[in-house]
Amino acid sequence: MVTTVADQQPIVASSARRLRFHRILVSEWIKLWSLRSTYWLVLGTIVAMVMIAVVLGAMSVTGMEGGGPGGRAALEMGYSFAQLTVAVLGVLIITGEYTTGTIRPTFAAVPTRLPVLLAKATLVGGMSFVLGILGVGVAYAISSPLFDQATAADLSDPAVWRIFWGTGLYLAAVAMFGLAIGAVIRNTAGAVTAVLGTPFILSTVWQLLMTDTNWFTTTYPYLPFVAGEQIILPAATADEMQLLAPWSGFGVFMIYIVVAYLAAAVLLRRKDA
Amino acid sequence: MIEATGLTKRYGDKTAVDSVSFTVQPGTVTGFLGPNGAGKSTTMRMIVGFDRPTAGTVTVNGKPYFAHHAPLTEVGVLLDAKSVHPGRSAYQHLQAMAATHGIGNRRVREVIEMTGLEQVAKKRVGGFSLGMGQRLGIATALLGDPATLILDEPINGLDPEGVRWVRTMARHMADEGRTVFISSHLMSEMAQTADHLLVIGRGRIITAGPIHEVIATATTPSVRVVTPDVKELADVLSAHGATVRTLAAMELEVSDLPSARIGELAARHQLTLHELTPLDASLEDAYLSLTHDQVEYHTEAVAGAL
Repeated sequence: MVTTVADQQPIVASSARRLRFHRILVSEWIKLWSLRSTYWLVLGTIVAMVMIAVVLGAMSVTGMEGGGPGGRAALEMGYSFAQLTVAVLGVLIITGEYTTGTIRPTFAAVPTRLPVLLAKATLVGGMSFVLGILGVGVAYAISSPLFDQATAADLSDPAVWRIFWGTGLYLAAVAMFGLAIGAVIRNTAGAVTAVLGTPFILSTVWQLLMTDTNWFTTTYPYLPFVAGEQIILPAATADEMQLLAPWSGFGVFMIYIVVAYLAAAVLLRRKDA
Repeated sequence: MIEATGLTKRYGDKTAVDSVSFTVQPGTVTGFLGPNGAGKSTTMRMIVGFDRPTAGTVTVNGKPYFAHHAPLTEVGVLLDAKSVHPGRSAYQHLQAMAATHGIGNRRVREVIEMTGLEQVAKKRVGGFSLGMGQRLGIATALLGDPATLILDEPINGLDPEGVRWVRTMARHMADEGRTVFISSHLMSEMAQTADHLLVIGRGRIITAGPIHEVIATATTPSVRVVTPDVKELADVLSAHGATVRTLAAMELEVSDLPSARIGELAARHQLTLHELTPLDASLEDAYLSLTHDQVEYHTEAVAGAL
């Protein structure tokens, strides 16, 4: 049954105001920084990185057997807690919209949906990259006085430099992974559990089941976070466990992330908001 | 203009919207009327692409909503109030939505003024009342100065002043040549706001058209007659083709016969009339008669429980 209700001239929509990707980025930027959780997570990320460096530096000062951890190890470990906070940041930027209903006005403004995911990924990735470098930088500045000449991190060493940008890259990847999982699961608690459960449960289970030569031993280096963190860690630890080289490890991690984004993109387009 | 063709939405084996086709024309306030659960919101959600239709298509100004380059200037939509992060201020929310289309802060302040949110614009939305949330939803819908306005139950939670404001705004927007599509389950509200009706029940369009036509086709005008000669008058009128119902000891409701004719017949048969009142069919009656079988959740007779 087609029913016509009345006739009149339609109003024509104005054309200067239209959707552009950089405008969606601005919109996401405003949304991100208008929430308190963002400030807490950013602060938490930096504090976590500095604290680890300082604690390890203090251990070095008190003179552990064998000299304690060096300045380089102090910087290396910065990502261990920071990855948790940036993962939550990535999850929240999308699940926060689903749980509060903001996703509807968002999709009303950007009905093709995918540019929203892309803008959020760009933002959360870029931010975590900067946070990673900044965090390692601040950790270095604060902790280096604690180490003596012999154990301090040597900035002329390219492997030390790699900790700076490697941490940036790794945190960017983890945050983007969190976003993709958040877009798939849509629920904060579920997505946080899934993203943070992955590094701990998976690698713990694998480590328990590994023997000298079984399947778990072979596949362990390919676990998402185990592969990804190689971009930060020195190649030397690869001796015992046959871990992947920095870039191959990071490449493997990127494959997981791409798969997560494909799933997120398909679900975003198909499922009702 | 909104055009739906065979629009269908099924959730599992439950059909929420069942192959509906309709056109909402610009320059009118079209009321989308139906009982709770009739499929109003689902239909509106499909128009702006929140839900994917199981079958059928719907376009806004000739294109699917997502195909427009500036969606916010095409359609302003209010679907459930308070779909805003509680930790954000109204101003920040509007600013973020406006930013996607390069809409500046001037327009943001404009819609805040239009909806009377000046006092609370910088406060966090979490503390908003239902009415303020509703106003913020309407402000969001108005951001792009849209050619089509879709409002789902816009007066929910509004104070009388707010209700009147929504009515005036809807009228004004339609007079400017925009398409205004407003849903409600309250027929009395629609009678005051809309000039066209689209009535939906159980996912199907029951009727559509100008509001007075809908009322005319859905109801039979009747006449209330008060007479001491109930029995005699009823016989005479029935003999002339009227349908007569006894309302009280001296009171009849007569349909299918105009009041003038009833008076003439009473005079000819020398029957006394105390009152002869033509009853106006109301939208309420029309609505009830239209949707009687379409109500999803019937209320049990209250007396039965006692």
